[in-house]
Amino acid sequence: MNVRFTLNGKDVESETRDNRPLLDLLRVDLGVTSVKKGCEYGECGACTVLLDEVPVTSCLVLAPQVEGKTVTTIDGLVDDPLMEKLRQAFLEDGAIQCGFCTPGMLLTAYALLKENPNPTELEVKKAIEGNICRCTGYVLIIKAILDAAERVLAE
Amino acid sequence: MKLLPSFTLHRPISLNEALKLLSKLEDSKPIAGGTDLLIDLKEGAYKAKHLVDLGLIRELGNIREANGLIHIGSTTTHAQLVASEIIKAKAPVLGEAASLVGGVQIRNRATVGGNLCNASPGADTATPLLVLDAQVTVASLEGSRSMPLSELFAGPKRNSLAPGELLTEISFSVPPACSGASFSKLGRRRGCTLSLINAAAYLETNGATCREARVAFGACAPTPVRIKDVEELLKGKKLDNQSIKEVSSACYGLVQPSTRVHARASEEYRREMSCVFMKRTLMEALDRARRNMQ
Repeated sequence: MNVRFTLNGKDVESETRDNRPLLDLLRVDLGVTSVKKGCEYGECGACTVLLDEVPVTSCLVLAPQVEGKTVTTIDGLVDDPLMEKLRQAFLEDGAIQCGFCTPGMLLTAYALLKENPNPTELEVKKAIEGNICRCTGYVLIIKAILDAAERVLAE
Repeated sequence: MKLLPSFTLHRPISLNEALKLLSKLEDSKPIAGGTDLLIDLKEGAYKAKHLVDLGLIRELGNIREANGLIHIGSTTTHAQLVASEIIKAKAPVLGEAASLVGGVQIRNRATVGGNLCNASPGADTATPLLVLDAQVTVASLEGSRSMPLSELFAGPKRNSLAPGELLTEISFSVPPACSGASFSKLGRRRGCTLSLINAAAYLETNGATCREARVAFGACAPTPVRIKDVEELLKGKKLDNQSIKEVSSACYGLVQPSTRVHARASEEYRREMSCVFMKRTLMEALDRARRNMQ
């Protein structure tokens, strides 16, 4: 079967199977390797993508289920002003160690700031509870998200 | 890494079409958010040749209020429960419990119907819905029927639905102004965690004495359960710190935690915690009932 959807602003069509996770469709079939394969049980958040603008774990979405929908990864937000602020804050604050959790973390943070431009520290913690960082760099990740929010608001 | 077994995914756009598929196809299962089911399929806990995806059936995915009842479609996601103005205003306890399930990614996919039908003893939306005295509506090609939520649970990870039946709706009466309800959950950490136990309480009061009480526990029995003995102890009682503490201590002997069905914490620990969490939820429910009356 074929699945058609909008990936990072472009219409794509790909042959797929009913039991193919969206994660594999993106990484293997379409070459979007910024989406990381972690636990494959919906627990680590490394495979987070935005599905119709909300974060989901792509390991637990079946490829045919995105028919007609919009899928966004960090690749689709390269020129986005909010994502640019987040990326910059992650770099400057040292919120990246091995980098494996970073794409998912950025997308979850992006969705948070879109909905809530001025979150409290607790709201940031709550928002990223589904994204695990095994370098345990949460302190700096939380700081970076708060810094990015502050910079957007200061403009 | 475990691969998903092969299956055929069907994507009906109406309830009737879904019911026809479920009754016609051998070895079929409905799939809503898939956050439990896909993992169980990977683990081999279930086998299914056909999955019937409920995600395109619009009539199953909304929350509405009509004639004093709140109706929640079975494919309403946890995120929808958290964001719903109706739930925030009329039954905040349900949104609070939903907000403690998984992380945001899971709440955006996982549905309330899936949480209930998956029938985990510690299902977090089950306990608040039990104390809200919820009914569930089940449809099949023969028609639909209603039953109390408690009858949906047949055992650990087992629901009472017959083949070809589908949970379509959860409903409960809008709680009166003199009531308050609360939910609390004990996990290994604060975020993104499964319940070692959870508790919900609902109280109606005329200010001092208790007119109606409903309490429930998750992960303290083979299924989420109301504890009627505690409810009877509360009814007619003057509600204060002391009386709530006394009643809560009765939970120790009334719950039936089993490490056989729920291995995340010992029986002894869960008995102890059942008293602590009952006291906390009752105190919070009483506080809310008093505030709601003002």
